[in-house]
Amino acid sequence: MRLEPRLRFQERAIPKMKSYVLIAAALIAVLNALLLIPAMSAYTIPIAALALLLAIAVLALSLFERRETPAPPPPPVVAKPPPPPPERHVEAEVVAFIGLLQEKGRLVDFLMDDVSLYDDSRVGAAARVVHFGCRDVLQEHFKVTPISDAEEGSHVMIPEDYSVDEYRLMGKITGNPPFKGVLLHKGWKTEFVKLPRIIKTGDKRLPSIAPALVEIK
Amino acid sequence: MNARFSLGIDLGTSNSAVAANNFEEDEPSIVEITQILRPNQIGESSTLPSALYLPHPDEFPEDALKLPWVNDSRTAIIGHFAREHGALIPDRLVTSAKSWLSNFHVDPRRPVLPWKSEINEPKLSAFDCSRLYLEHLKEGFLYAEQLQGRNWDLSEGQIVLTVPASFDEVARNLTAEAAEAAGLGRVILLEEPQAAFYAWTARAGGSWRNQVNSGDIILVCDVGGGTADFSLIAISGKDGNLELERISVGEHILLGGDNMDLALAYTLQAQLESTGKSLDAWQFLALTHAASRAKVDLFNDESLAQAPISVPSRGSSLFAKTISTTLDRPTLEQVVLDGFFPITKVNDLPTERRSSGLQEFGLPYASDPIVSKHLARFLTRSLVNVKASDSLKAFVGSSAEATDYLRPTAVLFNGGVFNAAPIRKRVLELLTSWNGGQPVRELEGFQPDLAVAKGAALYGRHRATGKGIRIKAGTARSYYVGLESSMPAIPGFKPPIKALCVVPQGMEEGSELLIEEKEFGLITGQPAEFRFFASEVRSGDTPGQIIPNAESELEETSRLEVTLPAIEGLPEGQPLPVQMNPVVTELGNLELWMKHTGSDRRWKVDFQVRME
Repeated sequence: MRLEPRLRFQERAIPKMKSYVLIAAALIAVLNALLLIPAMSAYTIPIAALALLLAIAVLALSLFERRETPAPPPPPVVAKPPPPPPERHVEAEVVAFIGLLQEKGRLVDFLMDDVSLYDDSRVGAAARVVHFGCRDVLQEHFKVTPISDAEEGSHVMIPEDYSVDEYRLMGKITGNPPFKGVLLHKGWKTEFVKLPRIIKTGDKRLPSIAPALVEIK
Repeated sequence: MNARFSLGIDLGTSNSAVAANNFEEDEPSIVEITQILRPNQIGESSTLPSALYLPHPDEFPEDALKLPWVNDSRTAIIGHFAREHGALIPDRLVTSAKSWLSNFHVDPRRPVLPWKSEINEPKLSAFDCSRLYLEHLKEGFLYAEQLQGRNWDLSEGQIVLTVPASFDEVARNLTAEAAEAAGLGRVILLEEPQAAFYAWTARAGGSWRNQVNSGDIILVCDVGGGTADFSLIAISGKDGNLELERISVGEHILLGGDNMDLALAYTLQAQLESTGKSLDAWQFLALTHAASRAKVDLFNDESLAQAPISVPSRGSSLFAKTISTTLDRPTLEQVVLDGFFPITKVNDLPTERRSSGLQEFGLPYASDPIVSKHLARFLTRSLVNVKASDSLKAFVGSSAEATDYLRPTAVLFNGGVFNAAPIRKRVLELLTSWNGGQPVRELEGFQPDLAVAKGAALYGRHRATGKGIRIKAGTARSYYVGLESSMPAIPGFKPPIKALCVVPQGMEEGSELLIEEKEFGLITGQPAEFRFFASEVRSGDTPGQIIPNAESELEETSRLEVTLPAIEGLPEGQPLPVQMNPVVTELGNLELWMKHTGSDRRWKVDFQVRME
């Protein structure tokens, strides 16, 4: 079950990639067609350059996309496969997650309020509510750990077989791994994601983040 | 039966848990139970809060509270969301249903829960609630296993359900019956403190035999969210061939961690009110949560002097309306350690329950919040019990003569309250002070929230495979049937009720007795009623023994009812001679039968609730 969010990301990444390839291909075709119009002959070089640039960009993007989404491990065999997700399922899950941060940590209240009207002691008191609540959500649904155990500001050696998404190199990047440098930020990763699952989204409307509360007397 | 797995179910007063042990694996593991987290959202957790919420038909969208294994839209919600949401709408929330099972002022089968609420929807009985919790746990286990690609047949499993050691036979039978109604089949019942002990032996690995010695008396001290439960286990034998016997169990005490959090919240509320800030009901709940968190933070980190508390208002304006204060260490220690676990004298016993005739028959919450005094009472009564029989007296030896209470030599803590090291330390100090300064050992390596479920799964495994240790236990109490006194009625004088001992303490599983000392004459077709008594401190009583004054010596637990069918060849209205025939089944259930003296025919006696 823990693989679910990742699989969903994969499902969404593919249509997204397809859409920009299609748009770029259409643009390149339009640019090439423009070259055939005699009145456009004066702009042959910039148009051709633009088409070439677009083509390179598409290639680069598709390569980048492939790197971002490595082939997923085979999904575990389950006895009851979940039904195909209904419309707007992913959006509904994101809203539900924000709803969780609001319910436990009042995050939306915190961000939607005008902070400039209050002094630091009021903001501080509110921040504790947000901190405790959102930390609970983080601890319950993720297992967040630092990527590097070294102290920030100390010299570190990046392991040779490091994952590209786990370390970002700054400053002068030359030579071959293993790279050496000063740790600026220890980084964060999560060992699992265990989000609540949506039972159903029903209509096309997005669910509420937090319902309005009405006390019946 | 060739069992392939065991299932340990901890049906707790405030939280339940399940552990499963596939016999192809070495150790039991906790089953993550799927439950409703919010409307339209489900997820898993290692515990299922024992809370049940009855929603209004228009409160949530249709199917928003539907579990994967439920086909129809069910009305009751169990678990996390039920507890969180229901806390704000107490009229629709049932909690502590388990304690209602052993409350014999209200019939556990009568639909009265939520207690004193004014909802229009049909209410539930304590029995219904227990059945629904068990059904959820059962389906949750099957569903979790299905997700892993495994399909179990429950009949291939050894299912163990834990009950408080303080439950009497009537509450135990009701629990077993609820399990059967929930589709779990016939389950084995195990006392929770024993389950905690099994879990400890597994966690300590092979070394547990080195950590205890022959002659040790181990106190299992279990304080959960809503109840405190004590037991003593004696270790005997030699050369590594240890024998364990549960020699004493405590009374049902409704006092636990929730009381401590509430006490802290009231203290903080007074603190806030003294500065002119007031709290509404919702904020008070939030304050209770915040106080509980601050308590954990301060107890876990001894270097902290205080913990901040911030309580938002119900509205969306967070900056303007959040109220803040701090919980400092002296206040925490004063409220929790000195309030619930003060160093008291061993002869300082809890103040007795109010016995006013106008008392409302809600749950009999402990009227004295001091756990130290309840512990003193338990150890004092344990000594009385042990001294009553020669076989138990052998465990404590001559040392027992010198004191007024039974001295434990080691303690095993269990229950969420003992997550806090300072509370464990305080209890050890208390026992040491009673012990004339001689320290009492703590058995390390407990896991207070999940140990009981794991221990139950282990016990199931031991029973199914015939390997591993077993604690000798048998019935925790002795039981008696009231005999109508044949004294002539005298105005202003109530004749004492005599009672016949029918089940001795420690009567073992899979055994039965025939009480030949007394013959009853029952008329066929007419219901016959008997008063039923119990005691946990009379280990010396033997079957057939007569107790002269039942009302002062024993505790009345329920009513017994039996109706003999019309028998062919016997004229109606003629009394039929029968004798009591108690049976303790292999699964640990006590059954009472009336056996015809002239033949092998017998009739089962039903336990009825004693109404006042």
